[in-house]
Amino acid sequence: MNKQRMIPAFFGNPMALLMVLALVGGCASTPDSPSGAEIARSNLTALQNDSNLANRAPMEMRQAEEAVQLAEQPLPASQSRLSEHRVYMADHKIAIAREKATTRYMEEERGRMAEERDAARLAARTAEVDRARRSEEDMQRQLAELQAKPTERGIVLTLGDVLFATGSAELQQGADGNLNRLVAFLKENPDRKVLIEGHTDSVGAASFNQQLSQRRADSVRYYLVSNGIASDRLSVAGLGEDNPVASNESAQGRQQNRRVEVIVENE
Amino acid sequence: MNRGNRTLFNRMTLLALPMVASFAFLSACASAPVAPTVSLTEASQAIARAEQSDGRQYAPGELDQAKQKMTLAERAVAQEDMWEAERLANEAKVTAELVLAKTESAKAAEINREMDRGTRALTDEMRRSGEM
Repeated sequence: MNKQRMIPAFFGNPMALLMVLALVGGCASTPDSPSGAEIARSNLTALQNDSNLANRAPMEMRQAEEAVQLAEQPLPASQSRLSEHRVYMADHKIAIAREKATTRYMEEERGRMAEERDAARLAARTAEVDRARRSEEDMQRQLAELQAKPTERGIVLTLGDVLFATGSAELQQGADGNLNRLVAFLKENPDRKVLIEGHTDSVGAASFNQQLSQRRADSVRYYLVSNGIASDRLSVAGLGEDNPVASNESAQGRQQNRRVEVIVENE
Repeated sequence: MNRGNRTLFNRMTLLALPMVASFAFLSACASAPVAPTVSLTEASQAIARAEQSDGRQYAPGELDQAKQKMTLAERAVAQEDMWEAERLANEAKVTAELVLAKTESAKAAEINREMDRGTRALTDEMRRSGEM
């Protein structure tokens, strides 16, 4: 009964009818949602489908969703400024959500990156230790070849008197073998400094022996320098007959006492 | 009697409803004499935050845009166009918030790049010394 009356009531009031039509018409006149809103929607959808970002800024994502829904509501043509405003807000809310999610994603990535860095650091350190051990082993092997003896002064190599003719400071042929190993060792261990000491037996005047021991040590020094060892790494001493390693009573003992010792100083 | 009253009531209601709605609609558009103080304050605070966090360095375009919107919002207040002032203030605010978000994400990316560079340097060094 009432319903039947409602319809005539509208048509019976032209004023009311006009207003209602104006309102309805306003809504109906823009059937398409603004294209700006469509673009915003597709940008938001892309963000929501990005598995790295979708769940990392939930609050901003929700605000972006609300802003897009508002922008999607149709407005009359006369409200183009409002429509533009809503699209602007939606675009920016989406961009903010994307930036925040990206920031959080990068922050979370740091845990993994730190692990990678630590692993690389450990591997580098292990490799370094391996290298150091290998070069230490190399050095020990070379010193063994030189028949070196570690002492508290350093590593002592004894170049026997076969290097020199009796009373001579000139290196004999065949001395090269041992000396070349020494050159190689010094080149591979450029930080090591060397003391070259000449010694003699007790035959002859002590002053002569001192000079002879000095000349023999100088000969070794000269050999090393001419083979590329920096002279400032080499010091020389002629110690004469005062430091025998065996008795001067026997020929064999005297032979042992005529010697040049090369002391590779400890690092 | 009873029935007649109800009819009259219905008629009046039906007449009044659209009118009330229309008035509400019109009045919303026509009168907003109060400046959107809250929106304006929030916008200028957002711009200040963006500037304090090096936004000038990381998102200069957006920062300029936010400030321009703010200027326009203040101009709209002066012209007593309060709806437009509110919209512009909100746009200024959201733009400044984007400046801040972009700045934070750019800084985070810098940190990650630096970490990655460090790791790569170690790996490269190891590869080189391994070849030796």
